[in-house]
Amino acid sequence: MRTWKRIRAWLSALLNRSHMESQMESELRFHLEARVEDLVRSGTERAGARRQAQMEFGGFERTKEECRDARGVNFVEGLLQDLRYGLRVLGKSPGFAAIAVVTLALGIGANTAIFSVVDAMLLRPLPFPEPTRLVRLWECQPNRGYFRNVVNPRNFLDWRDDTNSFEAMAALAGGMTNLVAHGQPIAVPGVRVSPEFFSILGVRPVLGRAFSAGEGVAGHDRVVVLSYELWQRQFGLDTGIVGKQVNLEGLPYTVVGVMPRGFSFPKTKAELWTPLPLARTKDWEDGRYLSVVARMKPAVTLEQSRQDMRRAAEINAKARPDFDEGWSAEVEPMLEDATKDVRRPLWVLLASVGFLLLIACANVANLLLMRGAGRMREMAVRSALGAGRGRIVRQLLIESLLLSFAGMAAGLIFAAIGLRSLLTLIPQSAPLPRGEPIAIDARVLLFTFTASLLTAALFGVVPAVRLSRTDLQNALKQGLLQGGVGGHQILRRCFVVAEVALALLLSVGAGLMLRSFARLVAVDPGFDPEHVVTMQISLAPSKYEDNLKRSQYIEHILSEVRNVPGVRAAASIHFLPLTEKTSGSCFEPAGGPSPTAQSPVSEFLIVSPGYFEAMGIPMMKGRDFEERDNFNAQPVAIVNHAFVEHYFPGQDVLGKQLQVCWTFEKPVEIVGVVADARQGELQTPPTDTIFLANSQAPMYFASLVVRAKGDPRQIALGAEDAVHRVDPEQAVSDIRTMRSVFSDSVSSPRFQAVLLLVFAGLAVALAVIGVYGVVSYTVSERTNEIGIRLAMGARARDIARLVLREALTLAILALAIGLAASLALSRVLETLLFEVRPTDPGTLGLVCGVILAVSVLAAVLPARRATGVDPMAALRYE
Amino acid sequence: MDKQLELLQGTLDMLILKAISLGPLHGYGILLRIQQISKDQLEIQQGSLYPALYRLEDQGWIGSEWGESDNKRKAKYYHLTVAGKRRLQTEADKWNRMAEVIEGILRARPEEV
Repeated sequence: MRTWKRIRAWLSALLNRSHMESQMESELRFHLEARVEDLVRSGTERAGARRQAQMEFGGFERTKEECRDARGVNFVEGLLQDLRYGLRVLGKSPGFAAIAVVTLALGIGANTAIFSVVDAMLLRPLPFPEPTRLVRLWECQPNRGYFRNVVNPRNFLDWRDDTNSFEAMAALAGGMTNLVAHGQPIAVPGVRVSPEFFSILGVRPVLGRAFSAGEGVAGHDRVVVLSYELWQRQFGLDTGIVGKQVNLEGLPYTVVGVMPRGFSFPKTKAELWTPLPLARTKDWEDGRYLSVVARMKPAVTLEQSRQDMRRAAEINAKARPDFDEGWSAEVEPMLEDATKDVRRPLWVLLASVGFLLLIACANVANLLLMRGAGRMREMAVRSALGAGRGRIVRQLLIESLLLSFAGMAAGLIFAAIGLRSLLTLIPQSAPLPRGEPIAIDARVLLFTFTASLLTAALFGVVPAVRLSRTDLQNALKQGLLQGGVGGHQILRRCFVVAEVALALLLSVGAGLMLRSFARLVAVDPGFDPEHVVTMQISLAPSKYEDNLKRSQYIEHILSEVRNVPGVRAAASIHFLPLTEKTSGSCFEPAGGPSPTAQSPVSEFLIVSPGYFEAMGIPMMKGRDFEERDNFNAQPVAIVNHAFVEHYFPGQDVLGKQLQVCWTFEKPVEIVGVVADARQGELQTPPTDTIFLANSQAPMYFASLVVRAKGDPRQIALGAEDAVHRVDPEQAVSDIRTMRSVFSDSVSSPRFQAVLLLVFAGLAVALAVIGVYGVVSYTVSERTNEIGIRLAMGARARDIARLVLREALTLAILALAIGLAASLALSRVLETLLFEVRPTDPGTLGLVCGVILAVSVLAAVLPARRATGVDPMAALRYE
Repeated sequence: MDKQLELLQGTLDMLILKAISLGPLHGYGILLRIQQISKDQLEIQQGSLYPALYRLEDQGWIGSEWGESDNKRKAKYYHLTVAGKRRLQTEADKWNRMAEVIEGILRARPEEV
């Protein structure tokens, strides 16, 4: 109540200021005049009466001031006064204001941009009701180091029966889907989901309905839910879409619903959803390929659900030891699961821009101190006129706030530009883990506002308190530069040391990231990515359910592509290298026991004949797959060098037979050995791999790799047409050169390295300005002394050394602190680096050298000025 | 006329509240009424009256409105609010107790101590 009244009083004081002033004036005047009248009435002559009345009343203006104070609105008025004064003061030194504002804007802008990413990715709850109850379920094999493994369908069904911690569980199986719209086949990312999927997430369609339980049964599953975006793009937001049929995978599907705009499941691209008709049949017995999401019951804790899942996994392991022994299950909160890979890099980036802002603060604080030296007299005069220390501090803090808010305004512009260019560093093919848009919204603005306030406090308080402590006597005397400034100079040196140390810390981080990135892209992937274009096809199960038909279809497409002018070679592989996809399976040498869950595991890749040639992977021994390796022939395999080294070192593996868990009943015979190539990602060394022939173990999807004689982009269109010639309903997607696949695969380390490099660059620039400022100030402060030295016969070189020594001392001190800090923080970067230790002496040495060099360079200009001092002028100056 | 007494610190507020508890008054009127009741024995710095009035109003113990004075001029009249009445009561009680205590101390004779 009282606060509200006070605020109202302040507001009315601000708005009706002149009105209240005139009322106060007339009230006081009335008093005086009434008194004069009374005195005149009692016989005093009028002029005397007026004098007496005024005397009795006391100071008229002072009374008014006291009244304003008493009314409690003086505070606000004073604030306004300070604000106006502050604007005027800053306006009078536009150079200083501009430097300070730009410095702050860089810091605040960088923080705003990075925070908007951190907020959208890590901090914001997932856009589902009660998101903390959402979890992902994985299989895991801890003793082999497999965590977060995709799930076997039968196990999923058993979990659903054997656990009681969850309201519901849903499985997802992703992939490209062929949608024929307006006669054109297009590949649409589609996900097959258990019918419960949408209700677990708690999101309702904007149009129509989600799946019913009955639609999760084979034979009733020809229904589809569209994403808003697909509905908009392909169906023109047709509100009559529900109930209509669309051609999916060559079959008619009925549209039952449309999801709201922006609906997405973390880390999964999807534009349409169809039911996943899981059942306890032979079809769903083998393999691990499902993603699983579940909603915990309200009262269940994460730990309880984990125990529940482990118990369920044990039941499975006992029931099906061949398949499940050694396997367990893991529960991960959905948000953490989705952001696992980006969390540390993002926090590192946020910490980096935090350091950058600290540097900016130190710089502006130094500027304020330096300028403060010139304002000593002003402060002294104000305090001589009766301004209290609090009032002076307030005045100075308001100036800082003005700077900070101007910095914030400019910083938001920087942030908007920065964020846009930052987002272009993220390739389309490697999407962020969460689909929500990244933007500078209310939350981010609140962060920026708070950060600006804190910033103002950080850079403003120390100078304000320091300056308000001015010694009146000294400052009013003429030789004011020496008066009380000495302490500031020490403070300023501390700030500069801190700045340079932080800049070093950032530069070490950037240097390590850069070196790590350079190492990474210098890795030989084992194949030749030049002149190769790749594209994805996904086969409609309805048309190509038959294994023979499926393998012949891919062969047919490949031979058609090989006929396209400009094509040197064409082949297929089921998982394209460097797209973070790997597939493992178990095997045993033939003749022994059948492979089980405990058998050795190798990477399995399904390739067509000519794959190794098309990718430039040398054949080391034996032969490639050939036409004769057809469906009815002896199953054959090719293994890589790592496989031979691991399981048959020094032996001739050609002709050896293996029992594999993949698909065959019969053992496969090794017919060739190829050199190692990296598969899932560039960071991981080649693993043991068994290649199977596409003609004998065809998949429902394939990546075509087409080697061109010249520019691979020129044959892309021809190759796509060749595919359509084989089946006009076959959609082709992800047409990219292998070069860009390679480049996209390192986009996240590149993103980190580029950003850190930018921030480190800014940090060093600011630190250099700081060193320059403090050294030039020393020079101007010591002009006198330098003059005397020169007059006494010192040479220019001695003077320059004197000045440079200061910069060097500051830099060396900063290096020591910065190095200690970067060693202390080295563990933070460790997991982000590739083949570079966070204490890499080469990088540390180089960065130290650079920082030392630029610090000394920053002092060169002031040093030149010092040597140019005219002794006579310098002495006269005093 | 005896020399006027200087106002004790903190008593002006109480005197103002008392003065207008007898009926709304403008600033000058308050001064006159206090002087009249005290038979001119108190010395009040006239200017200091107004900051006190503004403070009391800010605290909600008195209210004000513009009206017409005896000689047909516009003047600001102050009146006591309900909170002000309570305030005056507690202030007066406190003052009376204080006065009694102090009087008791000053009356003390050597044998009573």
